[in-house]
This record gives sequence, structure tokens and C-alpha cells, in this order.
Amino acid sequence: MTSLEPELLAHTVRGVDHAAFPTFDPRATITFYRDVLGFPVVHATCALGWGPGDHPDFIHFFFDIGNGDRLAFFYYFGVAPYRDTGIPELLHRARHLAIHVDGEADLAEYRRRLDASNWPCELQVRHETVESIYVTDPNGYLMEITRPLRAITPEDDIDAALSVDALMEVAGEPEPSLEKFFARKAKLIADRYEGEPELVTFA
Amino acid sequence: MTTLFVLDVEDFRPLAEVAGKDPDVTVRRRGPYLEVAAPGSIRIDRNAAGRRNAVWFSSVAAVEDGRVARWDREELVIEPDGPEE
Repeated sequence: MTSLEPELLAHTVRGVDHAAFPTFDPRATITFYRDVLGFPVVHATCALGWGPGDHPDFIHFFFDIGNGDRLAFFYYFGVAPYRDTGIPELLHRARHLAIHVDGEADLAEYRRRLDASNWPCELQVRHETVESIYVTDPNGYLMEITRPLRAITPEDDIDAALSVDALMEVAGEPEPSLEKFFARKAKLIADRYEGEPELVTFA
Repeated sequence: MTTLFVLDVEDFRPLAEVAGKDPDVTVRRRGPYLEVAAPGSIRIDRNAAGRRNAVWFSSVAAVEDGRVARWDREELVIEPDGPEE
């Protein structure tokens, strides 16, 4: 099954309810998200472990990240800070949360808030469709705030569908590579648009 | 023919425009893509294309009958598949 013959599954999900992460420094986490970024605290569960077992007592607290979506943290009492240093930094930073803002002024405002804090913006990048700022939160998690640079077009969606179809094929074979991916995707494009191509000039 | 596909959106269209200045290069529309083809190598100068970093390094959609031989801060070069390949 490829995207050329999509199976029409009903798509009834509605974005992020919450994403949750452990924290070992709740004071810094609350300072960063509530006081620096201005994300309201909207819920907290204060729990005596999970029943009679050895599960630690914990506080599970939530920040409003807009659009009704929430970012949550667990703080476990008596659990020593832990970080898996065996994970390569590249892979560690691949896991990140990107929060949406609508425009340039909003992005600049969040950059201003970060730069005035103990957690200044580390990087600002204009990608093809979005511009993003990046910061490492007090827990070491990479966080991105991003704004659209242009609308996503039907062409972008077609390209994305062909990319994942090519990736599905190449990743199922030995020694996948970007070179093999490009070649496979080119065949998918040629097959899909095999009609007489129209010559283009940029005059 | 060495063939490079770029998506025909404003971010990537300039690559096809720059490549198309070479008389050996033809540019055709294939669905939402611009198909850039040449009997030999396709060379695109980064400055001429005027693409910022993140866009430059995500501008190749696909490559047929060739391989990316160079793709750095100065130039993108697609070379024809050699006989050994």
C-alpha cells in the first residue's frame, strides 16, 4: 500500500492533549515555563505513589502551551537525578518539543523572554517552511518555538507522501542510504507523472 | 540523462533556474516537480541560487541516473552514474 492508493482511515484525533517528561528540578522547571515563558500552570496531580507498592510519591504538573494543549512533568520524591549519558548527543537532541506561534512578532517576544533569563536562545534558524528558535530547558530537553514562513501547499504534501513511500522501501532493504532514497523517489516521481513532461523556461 | 528533481515551490525553484542557464540542461515540469536533466553533470552554485543554509541542504527531492557528488556551502554537483556503478 502506498500513498497513491490511500486507505481512508477516519482521522478524528485533535492534536496534543499532553506530552509528559520527568523532571529532577521542579523549581527550575516551574521558573522556566511559568515565569520566563509565561505558560500558565493549569493542573497538578499530587499523588501518594500508585497504591501500596514501591512507586514513589509524585507531583504531576501541567502547563498550558496554547490551543488547549498541555506540557506536563513528573517530579518523583526521593528519586535520584538520572541521565543516560550513553545516548549520543545527536539522538538525545533529536527528541524535542516544538511549540507553534503565529508570527514573527510572537517569535521575537519569546526570544526576548529567553534572552532575558538564565536560559538564553541558543539558535535561530529559518528552514524552508518555518523559522525556529531553540533552547535547552532546565532538564536538558531541547525545546523549539516555531512560526510559519509560508503556507504548506498541496505540492508539499505530495512530496512528503512520496518521500515516506521511498523511505519505506529503502529502509526495508539492506544498507539504506540517502543516495538510494533519492534514486527510489525519482522512480516514484517518474512513474506517477509519466505523461509528456512540459518544458519549462524561466524567461 | 543525469536528472535532479526539485519541488516547484518558491524555496527550491531557484535551483532549477540556476541550473537551467547551462545550455546542456533542460528543465521540465513533472507534476509538482521541476525535472532538471543533463547528459553530463549538473552544477548549481549556492550563491547564484541564493538559498539560506537550511533550505539549501533540504533542496534535493530526488536524483535519477546520477549521484550527489558534492553538496556543501558552495556548490551542489550531481554526477552521472559511472560505469563502475
